[in-house]
Amino acid sequence: MLNWVLKGLKTGIVSTGYPDREETAPGVSPGLPAGQQPAGPAAGRCLTGALRLGGAELQVDRARCVHCFRCIRGTESPADWQPGYEWAARAAGDRTAGWVPGSQFGRSLHIRVVDAGACGACLSEIEQLNKPHYNMHRLGFFLTPTPREADVLLVAGPVTEHMKTALRKAYEAMPTPKGVIAVGACALSGGVFGPSFASGAGVRDVIPVDVVIPGCPPPPLAMLHGLLLMVSRSGTPAVTSLKSQAGGRRDG
Amino acid sequence: MVETGTIFTLFLFLCAAGMALAAVTPDRRNPGVLAMVAVPASLVAIVMSGDVLLSGRPFEAALWTLPGFGPMRLSMDRLSALFVFVTGLVFLPVSIYTAGYMGRYLGRHSLRTFGLFYHLLFASIVLLLSAGDVLSFFLTWEVMSIVSYLLVNYEHGKEENTWAGYLMLALGEAGTIAAALGFLVLLAVAGRLDFVSLKAAAAGLGDAGRWAVFLLTFFGFGVKAGLVPTNAWLPRAHPAAPANMSAILSGVILNLGIYGIVRVNVDILPAAQAGPGLIVLVIGTISALVGILYATTENEMKKMLAHSSIENMGIITAGLGAGLVFIASGYPVLAGIAFTAAFYHMVNHSLYKALLFLGAGAVDVSAGERDMDRLGGLIRVMPWTGLFFLVGSLSIAALPPFNGFVSEWLTLQTMLRSAELPSTAVKIVFALCGAALALTAALAVTCFVKAFAMSFLGHARSGKALKAVEVRRSMTLPMGMLAVCCFLFGILPTYVIPVMDQAIAPMTNQRIADDLVPPFFALDAGGSAKFSPAFVAEFHDLGAQTGKGILPGRGWVVLHQGAERNPVVFAMSTSYTVVVLSLLLIGSVLVIRALTRARTVSVKPAWDGGLRRLIPEMTYTATGFSNPVRVIFAAVFRPMTFDERKETIAEHFRTAIRNGRKEVHVMDRVVLQPLIKGLQAVASLLGRMHSGSVNVYAAYVFISLILVLACMRVF
Ligand code: SF4
Repeated sequence: MLNWVLKGLKTGIVSTGYPDREETAPGVSPGLPAGQQPAGPAAGRCLTGALRLGGAELQVDRARCVHCFRCIRGTESPADWQPGYEWAARAAGDRTAGWVPGSQFGRSLHIRVVDAGACGACLSEIEQLNKPHYNMHRLGFFLTPTPREADVLLVAGPVTEHMKTALRKAYEAMPTPKGVIAVGACALSGGVFGPSFASGAGVRDVIPVDVVIPGCPPPPLAMLHGLLLMVSRSGTPAVTSLKSQAGGRRDG
Repeated sequence: MVETGTIFTLFLFLCAAGMALAAVTPDRRNPGVLAMVAVPASLVAIVMSGDVLLSGRPFEAALWTLPGFGPMRLSMDRLSALFVFVTGLVFLPVSIYTAGYMGRYLGRHSLRTFGLFYHLLFASIVLLLSAGDVLSFFLTWEVMSIVSYLLVNYEHGKEENTWAGYLMLALGEAGTIAAALGFLVLLAVAGRLDFVSLKAAAAGLGDAGRWAVFLLTFFGFGVKAGLVPTNAWLPRAHPAAPANMSAILSGVILNLGIYGIVRVNVDILPAAQAGPGLIVLVIGTISALVGILYATTENEMKKMLAHSSIENMGIITAGLGAGLVFIASGYPVLAGIAFTAAFYHMVNHSLYKALLFLGAGAVDVSAGERDMDRLGGLIRVMPWTGLFFLVGSLSIAALPPFNGFVSEWLTLQTMLRSAELPSTAVKIVFALCGAALALTAALAVTCFVKAFAMSFLGHARSGKALKAVEVRRSMTLPMGMLAVCCFLFGILPTYVIPVMDQAIAPMTNQRIADDLVPPFFALDAGGSAKFSPAFVAEFHDLGAQTGKGILPGRGWVVLHQGAERNPVVFAMSTSYTVVVLSLLLIGSVLVIRALTRARTVSVKPAWDGGLRRLIPEMTYTATGFSNPVRVIFAAVFRPMTFDERKETIAEHFRTAIRNGRKEVHVMDRVVLQPLIKGLQAVASLLGRMHSGSVNVYAAYVFISLILVLACMRVF
């Protein structure tokens, strides 16, 4: 007991400083292919269709990228990658009601996580949010077991046929105002699973989405970014710095 | 003023008329006719006993004289009158209910016999309670036992009913024999049959005789009261009986067991030592605890209520036991309080248990189902039954302002008063019993939260429950009457206690009305010999006089005054509580309304975890609700799980797996089964005599002849 206390005191605070300070720990994020870039042979190597040729430009569809690294590894001319983790973005045009997520939630947001057929990777990253390093409670984010008490639905997975009703019901069971965050490539586009006979093409087909977080899986910091974006607390420009490049791809 | 004797004759006449009419009326109109006769008969019984209770003029009537044994007589003192009053109070609504309820048996069973026996039962119970001598007591007792057996076993076609009825009869008769033996011991010293001479002669009984009378009558009558270890018949008899008979069985007939115990062991032969009282207390406590444990885990409504009857009889008996110990230790005031608690609880139990059984019957009629796992949501289709069942549940769970609260609170307070007793060993027994009774009270809440919530709230868990409809007015009205009684007996303890006190006083030789219900309305600032001016002033400041002048009676506060150091041992007033509670309730509703007026409320379907379709069977069931109790008390329940498998093709494929659990009641396991095994062993030992050879039998005859002759020679 005493040891435990002493050890705790000795260790001090281990939580990341994000979003007040940037997170520079190596390996915190794998990065993503940079937006538009000059076309190269890498385009042909992408199996998910995330890299597409648009004339002379190579278009990157972040919603589809599954971090397979085929476009940077084992090729002569690797695609351009961008380090960092602040990938979340507002999904424009989905909202029918004129609701802007933000100030209503003050500093307390309750999150219901829905596994809509995810492979488990996104979920294991979501789990990290609750652990000491990311410790999302310090930012006022809390998980709740029922949609009745939730402000935000955090959905991972392509939405399989079996989860469609459940997801819709969960959304309907939430009190307004409410928001939806889609996490990971599958939730954004169906990923490697959908659309198919068993899976849909992402959350958007079932319920309106407010914030998207690409990645496969997105690192916990990306999710924190998404949550902050949800409550309009991430107005500052991206904290991504060159330092976290080291954590990007070392072997690029 | 009409003579009590005249009213009594009128009552007997009504019962006889009821029997005659029942015999000639066709089945279809029989239940209606029954109600038309039985309702006035119950009213007459209430008036008659009420008159004796209030005026105190005992009713006496000599019947005929047996040569050598003195006169046989009817005599109704206040104690009998109290029991007759409760009997009438239960029979009145049950008779109305019968008119609506018995229709379900039309064409399947003879309603004429039902009507006939119903009136016979009523008459025999009242005669039994007013019997003034041993012979008429046992005659009516036997009539009552046999007729109640016939009525409980009314649906005699079913195998399990026959078995239940047989067990009821067998155990009941064993009890009767034991009780009769106890009376024989008394008769040996008295030489006359009437209770008065028995009481006079009882003082001369030796220690061994006293113990014999106590043990024989306590266990003999304990069978009727459903006390452990002879409670096996009760949970089997109730599901077999029609609901109106269940109400009478629990509301009236169990009381007769208590009456027998009280008549012999408190009235005729009050205990001189603490021993018998402690036995009564411990047996009562064990009954209460065992009863409520099984009630909490039982899902069949009527079985659950039967187990709960065992519990309540246990609480009553524990109160009696405490009273006996107090008498033996020379504390008549405390004994009076203990008996008051016991009798009050008995009256309350009769009221709410009858109510709950009638409610269970209504559910059974309407949904055709008594398994709580397969009910649910009935409040929407049966609002009145639901409301009255709720009142019954609140009462039995001892929540104020309903009647159960008053008597259970008094019983527990009585247990605490054991601090006065000199003997440490006795105090320890009281403390343990008090703790067990408190646990019982807590489990009772669990039990009846389950009973009400699982049957009336939530989703209907079966098609039958979904299709249920409200029962007829003739069935809801009697439940309403009982519910009102439950409420009245809950808020008017200060009016009930003085009346009960007068019935109890002859046994303790002590009036306790002043000790429990101080006459705050009559006391002025000067106080009285019992209440100092300072004490009175303090309570008057607290508002104990509220209502003085416009309301009759002594006051509204139940209070026990202690010594100098601790002037108020316990005090409460459900009457004021109900006023304060309702004001608080109305106040909080108004405040909440005002605060939330601006709020919009959206009604959404229940959150079901995202299931495609919420199947009602998936909702919380009665089994699930009570499982913690089952797990915690596994040592008592000793559940045996079984797992049946059907396999085909060299046991490679399972076609069916059935898991279940069987429980043998703890009393059956610990007491009855070893007893039966022992008897069987003795029987098989004796069976060895039967060799089948004629010569051997001739030898038996010869040997016994010689033995008899030898005996005659010696004595
Ligand atoms: S890492 Fe992304 S963009 Fe590159 S090949 Fe794989 S899926 Fe395509």
